[in-house]
Order: sequence, then structure tokens, then C-alpha cells
Amino acid sequence: MKNKYVFVLVMLLSILVVSFGFTNIYVSHNQPAEDEDFVVVTSFYPMYIATMNVIGDTEGVTLKNLSEPQTGCLHDFQLTPADMKVLSTADVFVINGGGIESFMEEIAEQYPDLVVIEACEGIELLCEEDAHGHVHEDSHSEEDHEDIHGTEEHDHENEDAHDEDVHNHDVNAHAWMSVELYRKQVETIASGLAKAAPQMRESFLANAGDYDRKLEALQVEQEKLLTLTKGEEVILFHCAYDYVAEDLGLETAFCMDLDEERQVSAGEVAEVLEVIEHHGVKYIFAEELYGTDMCEMVQKEVDVEVIYLNPLNRGEYEADSYIEGMRNNLKLIKEVFQ
Amino acid sequence: MINWTSWLDYGFMRNALLAILIITPLFALLGTMIVNKKMAYFSDALGHSALTGIAVGVVFGMQDTTISMVIFAIAFAMLLNKISSRNTASTDTIISVFSSCSVAIGLAILSAGGNFSKYSAILVGDILSITTQEIWYLVAIFVSTILFWILGFNYLNAISIHRTVAKSKQIPVKLMDNLFAVLVALIVMLSIKWVGILIINALLILPAASARNISANMREYHLFSLIFSVFSGVVGLVVSYYTNVATGPMIVIIASVIYFATYLYGRRK
Repeated sequence: MKNKYVFVLVMLLSILVVSFGFTNIYVSHNQPAEDEDFVVVTSFYPMYIATMNVIGDTEGVTLKNLSEPQTGCLHDFQLTPADMKVLSTADVFVINGGGIESFMEEIAEQYPDLVVIEACEGIELLCEEDAHGHVHEDSHSEEDHEDIHGTEEHDHENEDAHDEDVHNHDVNAHAWMSVELYRKQVETIASGLAKAAPQMRESFLANAGDYDRKLEALQVEQEKLLTLTKGEEVILFHCAYDYVAEDLGLETAFCMDLDEERQVSAGEVAEVLEVIEHHGVKYIFAEELYGTDMCEMVQKEVDVEVIYLNPLNRGEYEADSYIEGMRNNLKLIKEVFQ
Repeated sequence: MINWTSWLDYGFMRNALLAILIITPLFALLGTMIVNKKMAYFSDALGHSALTGIAVGVVFGMQDTTISMVIFAIAFAMLLNKISSRNTASTDTIISVFSSCSVAIGLAILSAGGNFSKYSAILVGDILSITTQEIWYLVAIFVSTILFWILGFNYLNAISIHRTVAKSKQIPVKLMDNLFAVLVALIVMLSIKWVGILIINALLILPAASARNISANMREYHLFSLIFSVFSGVVGLVVSYYTNVATGPMIVIIASVIYFATYLYGRRK
């Protein structure tokens, strides 16, 4: 009788000691010491890279990113207690905006004083409908029944967009995929940071200027491609590429978000094939991670070129990774369109 | 060395601690009876029905899917009780049919548009989803469970030992069964968002099963179940906070360790 209680006590104590012991080891291995820096937290990868370039080698600034969502884009991303901890040390929170950070309400509630810089502020984002507007225009030039078909697609896709996403998805928030808009984002972040930490103003603006010159060169490179691409029709398997298409003067015949754990239904595949045949689309922009299966299947059925672009929403945490990633995208596009 | 109290600085962690302190004793109490009545499968099915509850809420465009979940779970529990008391097939078959059917409906509705991922949090649980309002729900359910236990425990115990004898002693068997099922449904639904559908049943079963391994009488059974439940809840919460894993699974891991330890100890005798 007595033994039993002793056993329970010993058991619970040892579980306590072991679990806390391991936690202690785990934590001390994983947490660098906190300091008194000006702390900037970014919501996800493209914002991190942009902010990284603005901060550059400015002394006394710590830059952190929220824990990486597996999905790349922030759709369906859920804050973890670790994120909340990171945010509680933050002086400034840099977000993309456009509704992509669906958790902002929660954050505003917990940390009402946190300074938030919204990189998309003042940028006119594409609407999800825009892409399908093109379908309309194109279909006019062809047969009548196809026009009807185009309208159907349009409606269908809109419904999808509403069902699919938590956030306000009338706008397409992947603005960083357009070099021009990304430059504006960098500018917005720089002026936001300069306002939040006036003592580092010079440094931020100078760094942003340097970065902008590099981006300008990239934009010039991109514009050279225009002669090759203008007016061609593409199918997009990731809505982020809407901005690439827009920059390159491409017409979007169909856009389907192959993202995260989305399962494609047989009907949708048929729809894509139909659009390809009716419009004579020759190119597909897809993301390697999610689009490969679908593209291979489509390629078996019809003759199209698939270009696997990088949506630049995850990758190396290097200052130049945006520019390199984008340059690589342009190279891929150039090779195929030539 | 880390600061072992820093987690209490955050509002959501204080909420979580409160919720755990309220809910784990309830899990322990109900668990003892669930284990006695061999209803583990029933409570598992109930947990799975949460998916359908949410789906129904989504279809009707409800803001707070907790309400639709609770309503659906209560209806589900009553229906299960009713049908399994008719004894047309064995109870576990019936429960299995209902459980898979409701999971299928839930998955079908929630995955419409190809996007189930935004509900995946409910499978593993999200500790940040505990709001102050939910804590008040929990307090209400805490009080009613304790009352029910004080008034009805002897009846429930009698029924679990021998149904027919209990009936002959004028105990309202059906009513007690239904009340018990409703209570389990309520508690499961109010904690499922942060514990997670996949493991909520473990929290109900494990502490009681561990206690049963080493208890000699009802009093010990309850006492140990309570201790194990609260202990694994609080330790799981703290550890999950520092190691950045989901809280529900952490609690269950600790509860399982306790189960195995008590199992070995109980067998030794």
C-alpha cells in the first residue's frame, strides 16, 4: 500500500526531472542570448530578404523571420508560441500585406503597440479576376461558343478563389514577383524603418539605394525580354506568376493555384487541357515543388513547354537571393521563348 | 540555464494553463468511467465527429464553429447511444460505421475546393486558439461535471457494474447514459481545438487507464487518475512551450510514459 504511493511519487519526479532536463539542454543549444538591439521581425521570406538588404551592415539591428512555414507562401500559416515569443521582442514587424498575413488580427490584439510596416502599401495589387479578364478578351477574337466557355471558367475560378483561401483573396498579394513592385516594397520598408529608428536613417536609406540600383539593372534585363514575350499566352500554375506575366506583357489564359496540399480534381485537369487546346497556349509557368506531377501529365496529353519558375518564397537566407532567383527565372523564360 | 517562469509572461500561455488546470481533472474523472464502461471507442468516435461539426458550421456560415461542433456532437452521442442500445449488431461495428461516416462527411465538405490544409490545425491542436471566452465555457462545464459526479456517480458506477441489476433497482439507466454521453461530448468539443482530433481520446483514456493499473479501489482510481492527468497536462504544456512543439501531443507523450511505467509496476505484483 505505502509502496504504491512512493512509486507514483518517484515516477512523477523522474519524469519531471528527465523532461525538464532534456528541455533545458534543447533550449540552451538553440537559443542565442538576447540583446538590446533594435529588433526587426519579418513575416516571411521575400520580406526577410528585402529587409535584410535595407538593414545591410547597420550596427545594432537584429533581424528575425517568423518560423518558416513549410508551404512557402503564408496561406494557412499558423502562428506558433515561438512566433509569439519572437514578436514580443520585436520593435518593428515587416509584412507583405494584401491579406497574405491572415494572422495579423491576432497579432494586433496581442501587441497593439507593435509598429507594422506593410510593404504593399501604396501598391496597386492585381486582382485575381484580372487574369481571367484576359480570358474574356482573348475569347472574343475566336468563335462564339468559346466566349461562353471563357465566361464559365471565369466564374468557376472566382468561386475557387473564395473557397480556397482564408484571406481576402480578391487581390493577389504576391507583389514581390514583379521586379518593379518589389522595388517599391523595398522603398516602403526603408522609409518605414527610417521612421521607426531615426538614428539609423542614413544607413537604411543608403543601403536601400544600393539595393535599388541592383534591382534597376535587373528590371532593365527583364524589359529586354519584352520583345520576345509580349502578347504570348501562358497558363499559370501559381498565382504569384501573374505578376511575372504582367511584367513581361504575357496574356494569362488560365490560372490555377497549385499550392500546398491542394488536390486537383479530374475535372480541373480536363479544364486545363481544354484551355490549352482552344487557345493554342504553348507555355506553362509552374512551380517545381507542387506543379511537376500536373505538368508532366499535361505534357503527355498536349504539346506545351513547361517553365519551372521559382516563386521566391523560400530559399537561402542570402542578401542576393532575390536577385539571383529572379535572374534565373528570366533566364529560364528567355531560353524557352527564343 | 533557462528561465522556467518566462512562459507565464504571455497572455495565451496563462490562458492555456488555466484551460489545462480546468480540463485535465475533468478528463480524469470522465476517463475513469469511460474506461470502466469500455467506452474508449465511443469517445474516439465522438472526437472524430468534431470534423463534421466544423463542416456543418462552415456550411451554415457560422462565425464560431464551436457551437456547431457542440450541437453536432451532442446529437451524435445521443444517436449512438440510442442505436447501440437496440443491439442489432455489435456496438463497436455501429460506432465504427458512424465514426467513419461522419469523418467522411466532414472531410468531404472541408476539402471542397481542394484545400483542407487550413483545417489541419484542428488535427494536431493549436494552443493559441484558447480565448478568454472559452475559459468561461470550461468553467461552466467544470461546475456542471462536478455536480453531476457528486449526484450521479453511484448510479453510473452501478450501471457500469451490472446494467440489468441497476435497472431493477429503479436507476434511470437510459437517462444516466445519455447525460454521461452529453457530458463527454461537451468536454471533448470544448478542448478539441487545442488538443487536436487525432489525440484527444488519449487524454481521456490514458490517465484513467494508468490509474487502473495500480489502484485497489474506486477512491485510489480517482485520485491517481486526477494526479496523472493534471501532471501530464502541466508538464506537457511547459515542455511544449520551450521545445516549440504542439502541446496536445506533448501531453499525450507524457501520459503514455506514465501508462507504461504503471503497467510495468502493476504487472510486477
